[in-house]
Amino acid sequence: MRLLVIIPLFILLLVLAAISMMGLLELFRYSEVFVRFGVSIAFVFSFLIIARYMILMIFSIAKTLEKSADEEHLKIVNKKVSIIVPCYNEEAVIEISLRSLIMQTHPFVEIIVIDDGSSDRTLSIAKSMEYEYEFKSLKVFTKVNAGKAEALNYGIKKASGELIMCVDADSKLAFDAVELLVQHFRDPSIGAVAGSVYVTNQDNMWTKLQALEYIEGLNMVRNGQALLKLVNIIPGPIGMFRKSALVDIGGYENDTFAEDCDLTLRLIGKGYKIDFEIDAVSYTEAPENLLDLLKQRYRWTRGILQSIKKHRESLWNFRKNKALSFVLLYMLFEAILWPFMDFWVNLFIIYLALTSGASILIVYWWILFTVLDVAGAVYCLMITKERLSLAFYAIYYRIFFISIINIAKIFATIEEWFNLKMNWGKLDRKGKL
Amino acid sequence: MKLLTFMSFIILIVTILTMVFGIIAYFLYKARERKKEKRKQSYDEVLSNVNRSKIFFKEQNFD
Repeated sequence: MRLLVIIPLFILLLVLAAISMMGLLELFRYSEVFVRFGVSIAFVFSFLIIARYMILMIFSIAKTLEKSADEEHLKIVNKKVSIIVPCYNEEAVIEISLRSLIMQTHPFVEIIVIDDGSSDRTLSIAKSMEYEYEFKSLKVFTKVNAGKAEALNYGIKKASGELIMCVDADSKLAFDAVELLVQHFRDPSIGAVAGSVYVTNQDNMWTKLQALEYIEGLNMVRNGQALLKLVNIIPGPIGMFRKSALVDIGGYENDTFAEDCDLTLRLIGKGYKIDFEIDAVSYTEAPENLLDLLKQRYRWTRGILQSIKKHRESLWNFRKNKALSFVLLYMLFEAILWPFMDFWVNLFIIYLALTSGASILIVYWWILFTVLDVAGAVYCLMITKERLSLAFYAIYYRIFFISIINIAKIFATIEEWFNLKMNWGKLDRKGKL
Repeated sequence: MKLLTFMSFIILIVTILTMVFGIIAYFLYKARERKKEKRKQSYDEVLSNVNRSKIFFKEQNFD
């Protein structure tokens, strides 16, 4: 059934790609030097984007097939898991978040809440939920505010489980999330496993577009990367680690604004494999308006760039660690090359249209990428638990959402280049978990 | 062919508007953050604004 939907979309995609490329070649042949240069960049950009999409999608399909063929994953793994919840001013969401952890189906769970000096009712709400029963418990600790990385390290010290799970206080887990993640640790080379993140407050256009982006741009990408056991970021809302691996790398460090990305890179640097479990789900509250969304993406972009900068020695040093160099180059492409190229191609298309009249090539171009997005979205929605109607938003996704996000990424990159001051930029919670 | 020309015109307009909107939105976000930063005052700044000295509470024994 899935193939019946996907195959025609891919055939259409290939036809459109061929038409667009022929159009580009035509332009290249009969144009001046500047246009030739622009066409060359557009060609390289299109090729890279399509190749990336295709490779990740094929990897993702292969990973899903590999998982369904593995009968071992149905066995119960009895390892104790310590779930660490760092929180700072989370009174709107902390109760729902902790309730989802208490209800986990895995029998050996220790929940450790670290209140990072909140000035609201977070501590009192969490304290009221403390309990201990058979192999499950919830303990709350409070400390002076020192940031998320410090709070997580504090929790790791308090943890007694063989496995450590780090979650955000503004997220809630599906009841079987821990049980599903634990199974991956039967393989001793696995250092960490990431889970899927879904948007829970899908009540306006921005959050619906982010819901689609999380599935297509993050979850599918991680599922594809997991075929090589090289997931590049363990997301804040859902990640499980072998405690010995965390101790081995010295825990979290607070010198970047993307502590999760930095930690994952250090794990890969030490030779650990990073897997992904598509069915282990965490629901998170996404920014509800554009300015909050830009604030989040600004921090993500600068944080990722800081992490790349921190590990820059490994960027071209393939002899030292091939896996890390490969991951860093991939991240560099996504963080810098892609937004800048996207911006350049948009500018070039405008220039072309204004100098030679509105070109039909624009339509082919747009349809090509929209079909690519819709095909990706349909595939991702079919293998996840999200509503298929979200695929409709793939049309808006390409025409303006990605461009706006990429512009913010470009400005964030420029500010990071000049090392301008920044702060954490905590978002206000609406309590819609 | 006319439909394709019309679509190319629409996509072009949307592309231009999106780019302008994206740049404006970024500067609006920066302006909002700057305003928020200004609104955050330390305890010492608040005291100097109202020309008052620090308040100290004395520990009392209620036994």
